[in-house]
Amino acid sequence: MKHIRNFCIIAHIDHGKSTLADRLLERTGAITEREMQSQILDDMDLERERGITIKSHAIKMDYVSPADKQKYVFNLIDTPGHVDFAYEVSRALKACEGALLIVDAAQGIEAQTISNLYQAIEQDLEIIPVLNKIDLPGADIEVAAQQVMDLIGCEFDEILQVSGKTGIGVDELLEAIVQRVPPPKGDPEKPLKALIFDSVFNTYRGSIVYVRIMDGTLRKGDSIKFMAVDEEYDADEIGYLRIKDEPCDVLKAGEVGYVIGSVKSLEHTKVGDTVTTVKNPAKEPIAGYKEVKPMVFSGIYPTDSEDFESLRSALEKLQLNDASLQFVPETSAALGFGFRAGFLGMLHMEIIQERLEREFDMNIITTVPNVEFEIINRDGKKVTVDNPSEMPDAGNVEKVFEPYIKAQIITPSEYIGAIMKLCQERRGVYVNTTYLDGTRVDITYELPLAEVVFDFYDKLKSFSRGYASLDYEFIGQREGTMVRLDILLNGEPVDALSSIVHREKAYEWGKKLCAKLRELIPRQMYEVAVQAAIGNKVIARDTVRALRKDVLAKCYGGDVSRKRKLLEKQKEGKKRMKQVGSVEIPQEAFLAVLSMNND
Amino acid sequence: MAGIYLHIPFCKQACTYCDFYFETSQKHRAGFTNRLLREIDAASDSFFSDTRFETIYIGGGTPSRLSSEEVSSILKRLHDRFTVDTNAEITMEVNPDDITQEKLQSWKDAGVNRLSIGIQTFDENRLKFMNRAHTPDEARNALRMISEAGFKSLTADLIYGNPGQTAESVRKDIAELMRFDPPHISAYTLTVEPNTRLGSMVRKNLVQPAEDDEVALQMDVVVEELRRHGIERYEVSNFAKPGHESKHNGAYWYHKNYLGLGPSAHSFWWDYDREKACRWFTKPSLKKYMETDPLPLVKSLSEFVESGEKWELAEAEWLNLNQLGEERLLTGMRTREGVKEAELNSRYDYELSQNQIKFIDHLRQKGLMFPDDPLRFTSEGMKIADYLILDIITKRPS
Repeated sequence: MKHIRNFCIIAHIDHGKSTLADRLLERTGAITEREMQSQILDDMDLERERGITIKSHAIKMDYVSPADKQKYVFNLIDTPGHVDFAYEVSRALKACEGALLIVDAAQGIEAQTISNLYQAIEQDLEIIPVLNKIDLPGADIEVAAQQVMDLIGCEFDEILQVSGKTGIGVDELLEAIVQRVPPPKGDPEKPLKALIFDSVFNTYRGSIVYVRIMDGTLRKGDSIKFMAVDEEYDADEIGYLRIKDEPCDVLKAGEVGYVIGSVKSLEHTKVGDTVTTVKNPAKEPIAGYKEVKPMVFSGIYPTDSEDFESLRSALEKLQLNDASLQFVPETSAALGFGFRAGFLGMLHMEIIQERLEREFDMNIITTVPNVEFEIINRDGKKVTVDNPSEMPDAGNVEKVFEPYIKAQIITPSEYIGAIMKLCQERRGVYVNTTYLDGTRVDITYELPLAEVVFDFYDKLKSFSRGYASLDYEFIGQREGTMVRLDILLNGEPVDALSSIVHREKAYEWGKKLCAKLRELIPRQMYEVAVQAAIGNKVIARDTVRALRKDVLAKCYGGDVSRKRKLLEKQKEGKKRMKQVGSVEIPQEAFLAVLSMNND
Repeated sequence: MAGIYLHIPFCKQACTYCDFYFETSQKHRAGFTNRLLREIDAASDSFFSDTRFETIYIGGGTPSRLSSEEVSSILKRLHDRFTVDTNAEITMEVNPDDITQEKLQSWKDAGVNRLSIGIQTFDENRLKFMNRAHTPDEARNALRMISEAGFKSLTADLIYGNPGQTAESVRKDIAELMRFDPPHISAYTLTVEPNTRLGSMVRKNLVQPAEDDEVALQMDVVVEELRRHGIERYEVSNFAKPGHESKHNGAYWYHKNYLGLGPSAHSFWWDYDREKACRWFTKPSLKKYMETDPLPLVKSLSEFVESGEKWELAEAEWLNLNQLGEERLLTGMRTREGVKEAELNSRYDYELSQNQIKFIDHLRQKGLMFPDDPLRFTSEGMKIADYLILDIITKRPS
């Protein structure tokens, strides 16, 4: 065990985490150059495209230290890098004894990094500070190093200077991992306690569970038990996580590996749960397991109602990979049968949406996202509402409570004004400002989550030229004057277009939403009246004029051929339209709210 | 019964809006003509050889760029190699700036009996904007000469719905054209094609395309004005005095067989007792056309299509009965005659579904379609025909 080093990497998006990880893999021979595909840890297409890590991964490396000629085993556990996935991060940290804190020498520290760093410190991880991208002309080693020293109270000499791109400093980094990350503790003789830090679904093999053995020993063939969900399986295959899975017979305390046990039941392998053996079970599970609570909700409907069951099975499969995704069936008058799904945040929602479309070839409609409200009715009854159409009529509502978050924004000081203005517009309550150094500020606000889920992050980024970073935590429910805003098309309410908004913003919101829908709904045979209403009161109106001309001028030899090909394309387009009453609504219209503020 | 289309890819200059295949260099005209003659020879020994042709259409490009000798040699070769009806409709597209009395006479002598003249507009500025090669006066002179030359029929092309155009100016164009009493008119709405100069100007925001509402208004004016002169609409963009409807155009809409010759020309063949038809086209490249031998149009269609994989010069697509049925709806519903349900059933095995019938009834009630069989649009429906046809087609489960 004393030759094992389990560590993770803490870094802000774009600070070069994946490139540096690739370099470590290369130096330790975990991958050959031929296998080298840029950023090998991010193996989902989406991750590679967006340049962010969504799921936790782990990879085992062998390293012979030139200092003592001993062979060491490194387990690098790669963690997600977005505020939506804070819980997954905490579980991945729990599986490690050390953390590389990677800071872009040109950018300095950012909010996301700090939040993950604090978690790591809280869990007693040994922090190895690393300045990355020192080869860049914009690198300011002195300033970045000072920030790191202020933050974790280390000495300048303890900070490693590397470049993932050129490979400078990587050898020193490998040696520092050996010297500074403590070997894992744990007793192989104790009852088994294995922490699930992620699980992925494989069509043929069921759930593949990634674990860190905290105590005890797991043998191939053992009967095992998932403690929180209280389900039993057999460990049919166990092994180490290399580029290709490497089966083995025994995983001992301190080691990181995978377990496959024909777990077909979808909710049994939750991140944070403890695996133990049936024969000699642990008394207590590993502390810190929690049911992840979704923060953002939206409806997901198949465009073609016949695909309801396929959508269910696709969501179930995604859920296995992603225990934080929750969904229950619901019905919409406009969209038919679908699901109300809960997500950790907006990025999470976008990811699920994209994966449904890409990996499962689903044609879906997503409705306007909203947060969960607590409503006290006139009769004193309390209801929880995560779907605008469930909101009682205004006359029945006594009080509405909405979730608030504490947002920590780190930004270069020149953007303070713009960012504070944004927070005020979003009903934010100012808490304080702290100067991190001469040029960087930490601004704290309390904000209604509802105001953050839409496009707050995008706005924040655009107001600060990409420099500001955001981290937030839930702080509780507060009262707010919220109303349900309905959208009517040709006089018929379309439930899937309803949203819950702050009363003071309802008029502005309604007007903008109507205008956006006018843009998004194509002209059709008849005029379409678009109205926004609170209760019976129409507060805004717009019109999609009737289609006046849509006919090809020429239709001869080659034109017929062209026209037919166009027809095939249009047929596909039709599939992406939803007929609600007499009106055809394109998918994008159901998310009109999201693009409303971009104009 | 079938038609022949010849594509002559030469133009004096590039019109702003045109995305047909053409070359402005005349260097290879003689070589092209020779290659075309060889293609005629090759095609005559094929499944087309027993076909009786009732129309020939020389289009382009600008066929009037050819010399008189070139035109007559092409038509002579067609008559030598194929069975062409004695009273076949033989049309040639011409531009006003190419027209002389001598040329008119030579075309007539070669057998051309119908001219299609590209007038587009009489507005000088608009002609310039379109980068047409002629002036309004040249157009007037050409029309005068043509009516004196005594061709059996004549059609003039107009383009409306131009950026900034008004209904009033459309009216003016028609009035001016009516002075020459053409028995047939093709009036097209301007289409902004991406790969044209117009397309690029629109992309760069240099030109604002006309609003659909404005174009719809102008369409009403065209239909109404021409009707006043006894020229009735028989297809979205085609108008004729009774008896002067173009037979050749009909071939495309009724799925008659046609043989296309020259680069970018499309051909179509369907043995009506079979459940598949083939449409193929020669690639739009004069260079490739000249460098490659004519397609091996052998005796049997299947043999021909089997060889398709090896073609460098052409591409083919097979159409099944369902696709053909949809095409028939697509083209037929653009015509005055419409499409008979019985024809869809018997020829295409295409039965309207309950949903389609319901939707069609709805369109009939709303005055967008005429109440009786065949399926056809009123002039209100015709304006949004593409939209409605797509709806009709997609209301049938595939």
